[in-house]
Amino acid sequence: MATRPSSSSNECVGSAYPFRHSPSAHQRPLKVVPPAHLSKIKFSVGSLFIKSIHLKGIRAHQDSTVNFDDGINLIVGPNGAGKTNILEAVHLLCLSKSFLTSNDRYVLRRGEPFYEVEGHFESDIRGSVTVRAAFVPGEGKKIFVGGAVLERMVDLVGRFPIVVFSPGDQRLTAEGPEFRRRFLDNIVSQSSSLYLDHLLRYKKVLKQRNELLLSARKRRQVPDAVLLDSWTQELVLHGAAIIADRIRFTEKYAGHLERAFEQISSVAERPTIVYTPFADHLATPENASDLYQAELERRRQSELDRGVTLVGPHRDDLEMYLDEMPVRRFASQGQHRTFGMALKLAQYDYLKERSAERPILLLDDIFDNLDPARIGAFLDILDSDVIGQSITTAARKEIVYNHLGSHPCRTTFVETGGLVLEKEPTDVLIGTRDSASSD
Amino acid sequence: MQFSSESVEALVDQFARLPGIGRKTARRLAAFILKLPKAEVAQMADALIAVKEKVISCTTCFNVTDHDPCPICASERRDHETVCVVEEPGDVMAIERTQGYSGIYHVLGGAISPLDGIGPEDLRIKELIARAANPAESDPIIGEVILAVNPSVEGDTTAYYISQLLAPFEVKVTRLARGIPIGSDLEFTDEATLTRALLARVSM
Repeated sequence: MATRPSSSSNECVGSAYPFRHSPSAHQRPLKVVPPAHLSKIKFSVGSLFIKSIHLKGIRAHQDSTVNFDDGINLIVGPNGAGKTNILEAVHLLCLSKSFLTSNDRYVLRRGEPFYEVEGHFESDIRGSVTVRAAFVPGEGKKIFVGGAVLERMVDLVGRFPIVVFSPGDQRLTAEGPEFRRRFLDNIVSQSSSLYLDHLLRYKKVLKQRNELLLSARKRRQVPDAVLLDSWTQELVLHGAAIIADRIRFTEKYAGHLERAFEQISSVAERPTIVYTPFADHLATPENASDLYQAELERRRQSELDRGVTLVGPHRDDLEMYLDEMPVRRFASQGQHRTFGMALKLAQYDYLKERSAERPILLLDDIFDNLDPARIGAFLDILDSDVIGQSITTAARKEIVYNHLGSHPCRTTFVETGGLVLEKEPTDVLIGTRDSASSD
Repeated sequence: MQFSSESVEALVDQFARLPGIGRKTARRLAAFILKLPKAEVAQMADALIAVKEKVISCTTCFNVTDHDPCPICASERRDHETVCVVEEPGDVMAIERTQGYSGIYHVLGGAISPLDGIGPEDLRIKELIARAANPAESDPIIGEVILAVNPSVEGDTTAYYISQLLAPFEVKVTRLARGIPIGSDLEFTDEATLTRALLARVSM
């Protein structure tokens, strides 16, 4: 079977929406058809899913096991029962930390001496893989892949691509640039371990260089010129590599974002993202190093005055626009929500293309604030072969069941205290579900 | 958990100070010492005291030694025109084990790290430049300085700093190559190492 290059499928999408940028095509029907360009590349994408997970000493869960299907999975339960903790544990096995906190002490259940999570992954490409993470306060965390301990946590990143939708995504478009940088770093790190390596080294150099600048300022001195220059060299080495990768990424990702936006928005607006390192619109991967060096040179005096590094990837922003409108300042609540979802859906699409596997998709309580039409549109995407495995938490199962109708979907019930059940605890509500569908 | 003897507890405390030793291992070591004959423990204690009493640092290369100059600096069979710069005495031992280097050494005593309060003045960098710039009359002129510092951001920065200071002198400055560890498979080499190895490829 020949693999269709994705560029040709891009063209076919463009032609399907010829009036995308025209104001006259303002309203589009909300009904979502699984996008043709994505189902076409289906056969070249492998599937990846987590079959089961065992949680011990994770927040609400003293000892729980949850089984999953390779499709839509629903976790239902009252607030605070521990639904999100299951998603956190899946995330922990894929990226070595929870998506809510990087401090393992907060992941550990109160009063427990340690936590342990074990997950069984199934992959077309790699077969069955067991990942286990264990954390003991004071002794640290260890992660085992197929029984072998990982020397560095970062070696896990990228092996099991994963995307999370959570209520916190609002901050991506509405709040400060640090949320957008983190988003950017998450995607690029999952698709390039070299990027992650540069990022970690950059952060270290940045701390060292800041300390050099700050301690000199405290002593009312200027740091040794050759010494400062040496740290600047190291900063530019890793910083320019990060900037170059971010520029390349933004160019590729733009197309994914446009397509994702089309899928979930009823309005024909065009989303754009602009990455301008040190506010220089002429930056390219090739000249990033020279521009960065020159910019540091230009700002040297202010850096000395303030005792801190003022230019670099740690200061950059990823600006977002709808048509010509800056999203952060002018978008409505609805536009923020749509843009945020499109960003994540595009992340999914991008990672899928890069890793040739469908990432695992986690959806943490995102349906509660959405109108039924948007929920429907979103569930249609989950149900199509665009998405592989998805795990959704919701306070009530009806939100999902009503839309999927007779379609089966594996449901796990979490009761207060982290009790995990495969069947609904009380039969009172069973009538809301199409009884023919249960088997 | 507590030992019923204060002396044992004190020994555990001392062992726990060693790098890489946690309290659990420290207790195991203390229990081992308890079982040893007294003579053997005395031997061990003597060895500990001896390193502090006898070991000095070589005034030329700053490696640890019992005699100044150290056997490497004093050896006539070694190539005194080539100096290998390392962070710690342990690195000298690592390179000596290769038996593939016949030059002499210079031990910096660490790497530049503002966060740990280590600046160039806290390392033996001045002494290295002096060795390269104005060698004593009896010494041969240094032709090559090999920077064998760790591939960390601190090591990289230290190497760059030294190379800048050596630039005015007629001395060749080189760095250890980075690449794929011997005995490992290309397939299982991480992307970062592989990319660096590609960038630093050599012609055949």
